[in-house]
Amino acid sequence: MNHQVVADFSNDTWWIWVIKAVAIIVFLLLNVLIAIWAERRILGRMQIRPGPNVHGPLGLFQSLADAMKLLLKEDMTVKAADKFVYVLAPLITVFASLLVFAVIPFGPEVSMFGVVTPLQLTDTPVAVLYVLAVTSFGVYGIMLGGWASGSTYPLLGSVRGTAQVISYELAMGLSLVSVFVVSGSMSTSAIVAAQAPFWWCLALLPAFLVYVVSMVGETNRLPFDLPEAEGELVAGHMTEYSSMKFAWFFLAEYINMFNVSAVATTLFLGGWRAPWPISAIGDGMFNEGWWPFLWFFLKMWSLMFFFFWVRGTLLRFRYDQFMNIGWKILIPTALVWLVAVIGVQSVRQFAEVDLRQMLIWIGIPLAVLLLALVFWPEKKKPEPVAAGPVVFDPMADGFPVPPLPGQQLPPAPRRRTVSAGSVVAGATAGPETKETGDE
Amino acid sequence: MTTFVAPVIDWAALSAILVIAGTGIVGVLVAAFVPASSRRTVQVVLALVAPLAALAVVAWRWSVVVGGGESTLVAGQLAEDGPALAAQAIILIFAVVGFAVMASRLPNGEEAFAPQGAAAPGSAYEEAARRAGLEQTEVFPLALLSLAGMLVFPMANDLLVMFVALEVLSLPLYVLSAMARRRRVLSHEAALKYFLLGAFSSALFLFGVALLFGFSGSISLPDLGTAAATTVGMDGMAVVGFVLVLTGLLFKVGAVPFHAWVPDVYQGAPTPVTGFMAAATKTAAFAAILRLLYVAAPGFGWDVEPVLWAVAIASMLLGTVAAIVQTDIKRTLAYSSVAHAGFALVAIVSLSEQGPSALLFYLLAYGLATVGAFAVVTLVRERDADGNVTGEATHLSQWAGLGRRHPVLAATMTLFLLSFAGIPLTAGFVGKFVAFVAAADGGAWPLVVIAVIASAAAAFFYVRIIVLMYFSRPEESERPGADAVEPGALTRASLVLCALGTLVLGVWPTPVLDLLAQAAKFVV
Amino acid sequence: MTNPYVPILVLMGAAALLALGGIGASAVIGPKVYSRAKLEAYECGIQPTPHAIGHGRFNIKYYLVAMTFIVFDIEVVFLYPWAVAFSDLAVFGVVAMLGFLALITVPYLYEWRRGALNWD
Repeated sequence: MNHQVVADFSNDTWWIWVIKAVAIIVFLLLNVLIAIWAERRILGRMQIRPGPNVHGPLGLFQSLADAMKLLLKEDMTVKAADKFVYVLAPLITVFASLLVFAVIPFGPEVSMFGVVTPLQLTDTPVAVLYVLAVTSFGVYGIMLGGWASGSTYPLLGSVRGTAQVISYELAMGLSLVSVFVVSGSMSTSAIVAAQAPFWWCLALLPAFLVYVVSMVGETNRLPFDLPEAEGELVAGHMTEYSSMKFAWFFLAEYINMFNVSAVATTLFLGGWRAPWPISAIGDGMFNEGWWPFLWFFLKMWSLMFFFFWVRGTLLRFRYDQFMNIGWKILIPTALVWLVAVIGVQSVRQFAEVDLRQMLIWIGIPLAVLLLALVFWPEKKKPEPVAAGPVVFDPMADGFPVPPLPGQQLPPAPRRRTVSAGSVVAGATAGPETKETGDE
Repeated sequence: MTTFVAPVIDWAALSAILVIAGTGIVGVLVAAFVPASSRRTVQVVLALVAPLAALAVVAWRWSVVVGGGESTLVAGQLAEDGPALAAQAIILIFAVVGFAVMASRLPNGEEAFAPQGAAAPGSAYEEAARRAGLEQTEVFPLALLSLAGMLVFPMANDLLVMFVALEVLSLPLYVLSAMARRRRVLSHEAALKYFLLGAFSSALFLFGVALLFGFSGSISLPDLGTAAATTVGMDGMAVVGFVLVLTGLLFKVGAVPFHAWVPDVYQGAPTPVTGFMAAATKTAAFAAILRLLYVAAPGFGWDVEPVLWAVAIASMLLGTVAAIVQTDIKRTLAYSSVAHAGFALVAIVSLSEQGPSALLFYLLAYGLATVGAFAVVTLVRERDADGNVTGEATHLSQWAGLGRRHPVLAATMTLFLLSFAGIPLTAGFVGKFVAFVAAADGGAWPLVVIAVIASAAAAFFYVRIIVLMYFSRPEESERPGADAVEPGALTRASLVLCALGTLVLGVWPTPVLDLLAQAAKFVV
Repeated sequence: MTNPYVPILVLMGAAALLALGGIGASAVIGPKVYSRAKLEAYECGIQPTPHAIGHGRFNIKYYLVAMTFIVFDIEVVFLYPWAVAFSDLAVFGVVAMLGFLALITVPYLYEWRRGALNWD
């Protein structure tokens, strides 16, 4: 199998590199501007409100205006901050986030000012490792930023954020292993080439699902945006930042969304390859020239839409739930899936066994087992013996507290009859009921 | 692109290591899944059965290998030959007796380890854990994993394997050192010192490996020996690298000037762990030094010998002198172990032919007495005002008059101390005798003279403890009174084994010496 | 073929220029109005503490996560080169890697059962 890079960069010259590098950065910045606007418009739609619609056609210039505003704001450094690290942190974050696209293939070879070159800045035999390395480097920005602010909320946000990102990085890393096993390479162009017959998101569906969940966790997006949970931590590690330093954190968050979407596109969604019915048209004419850029762009943006959609749909998780998902669901799933892939691949490559027959023999008992597990009568927990109404102190420690399950509200002194049921019913019973203050 | 050729693995030759490492891993699962009530029992059974099983496996391999069946395994990374198997057998014997002491409890049900290793000393959490009767049963898997590292050490025929074994051996010991039930802060300090200095010595070892690799282009010991004989120039690199590698190993042995950790760690670590560590680690590290010297070093001979001389002399002298002025029994034994490292080194300094068997016999004699002596230390306890048994009475003055109240225990301790001193009719005497003869045969006369003088001086402080136990009355002091407690069944068995071994090896050593003499040949 | 990492250096240069340029520009353009309250740590309006909580020390649980992360990250790092060389290493590689996975799973199960993965 070929472990090497498939794309051919031999024609590239230094000015091609410069063009591609600048193009990548411009591409990312423009996409972020659109993404912020799109996110607000889409969320607006989902929440039945208009969203930004004043500045420019359809409000398109809204995010540009926001960026300009940030640029013109005062650049403060809080008193308790560790000056050097405080400035360094946003730089690290934005710097690391801009680097991932270096190895993402936008398309096959095109002619650029007379030079035939792949639509990709560069590729190495360990390109995906480079992506993971650069992403991990970005964690320093979160950690150092929160620590250097010398303030409580940023510190809590940064340790939370770091723990979160590294936890989900594990699941992400494990889910990628099966892609490397089946592709036989870590070079992005080789992985895209290996997906010519069909995309890995179909063949490796569990790995793809684990990746999708962990990519949301990795980018600190809702429902996993615990480092900056505004109800608890103000704005997490960015609390003490203003002006462009804040803008860099903000920019990096969106670029990181593009990063993980682009990686998912490349590793699981066939990269720049056209989706099936189109790819069959005209002997693959849509897989050549500049067309693939469009497919890549659409795939990446559909993942971005998924981000917005999830944000509009789900509530934020509690931190313990969040860590449980990472450590107790995603990692075991990824491990079990990896072992399954190893098994199937070893049989396919090294054993003289008919794979289909073997899969049937393994699959039927597994399916039976699964069904049995699903339909197994659940052992009923014995109902807690009601030891009479538990004494409930509605003013425990001097604060009004709600009743816990199993506890009953005492009769309110100013009302004739109130029971737990009537409190619920009281929501429609007019202002008089609400005065009891039990809700 | 080169095609990959899978190495042939002779699983049978690895079986002793696999038994121990596998049991250690099973022990981790036991700690995770077996309910707390029966967890400790299962762990103790595993920890005692595994070394015995491994001992049987080693005996089997001995019958297969010694006398012609020597070979290297796993692409030459491990070597299975007489010295390796003999060292493994000795380590496993120490493991059996050492684990028995670790597993036994005092009559009041107290064990040697902290109820919760993670609890801060003196915290409310620790007190709650003690009341709840928690037990940190992880000590047994840890000890087994460390033992697995020790078993790889004598077989390591390759510097990297040696390094991995060194780390596998060391890391669990660092944790175990921190687990003492009493004097927790001292125990933590000991573990931290051990860890930091151990990490430092590992770094030196690795640096030496790098230099040797640069010198010879290989990390396998036989290749190194060949390169030393053939390569011209770069002597400086080779010798420095060799001495650095040796430093890493001498650190584990506790030879001067790499002994700084020994007294503190021996004092602070839980006493059963100290006994096991002192005996087994020393044997494993010496076995690795053996292979390094006899397989790789002949080519370096003249360059390395002065270093070994200096280390041996310094260990003997400093260990003896420092032991004389100690007032704590554990520190006394620690410095005595430094001195013994020097004595053991004497046997192999001149690379004579009897060196390996003499060294292994010496280690067997020393280790049995060490495990036994530290087992006795676990039994001599202080009493508080209400007569409850508390921590170990380690101050020497507290041992005064022990011989009158507990004649059997004191007699056992006396036997071990006499063996340390090298008095005839104990194993220690035979061990010193063969070691010095081996050195003299190799022409290291001056070293033998110094060693004899040092052992005479060392006899002084061993005899002082004996005198203290039998001929002194406990004096009035502010220290709480001390008395020995009844040993548990496992400690009793371990003490009997150690004492019997010390006596038998002293009176009738011929069979063991003959066996070890067969084991002198290294596979190259 | 030229070194494939040189283009990455070019991109790094461009990214560093953008990052530094943005902060530099805002430092030059932005207004500077001194106000003591503005430079205090933000704590939702209450009297701010001069330092972060516990002088920058935080819950030991985070260290546990970090240590567990190291173990698994090393596992992943070992898995990558093996995955790429899957076909070359053949059955030997598969057996070795499955053994390695099993060895890593044991402490994972231990941690799980002993509550190191619980966040309470």
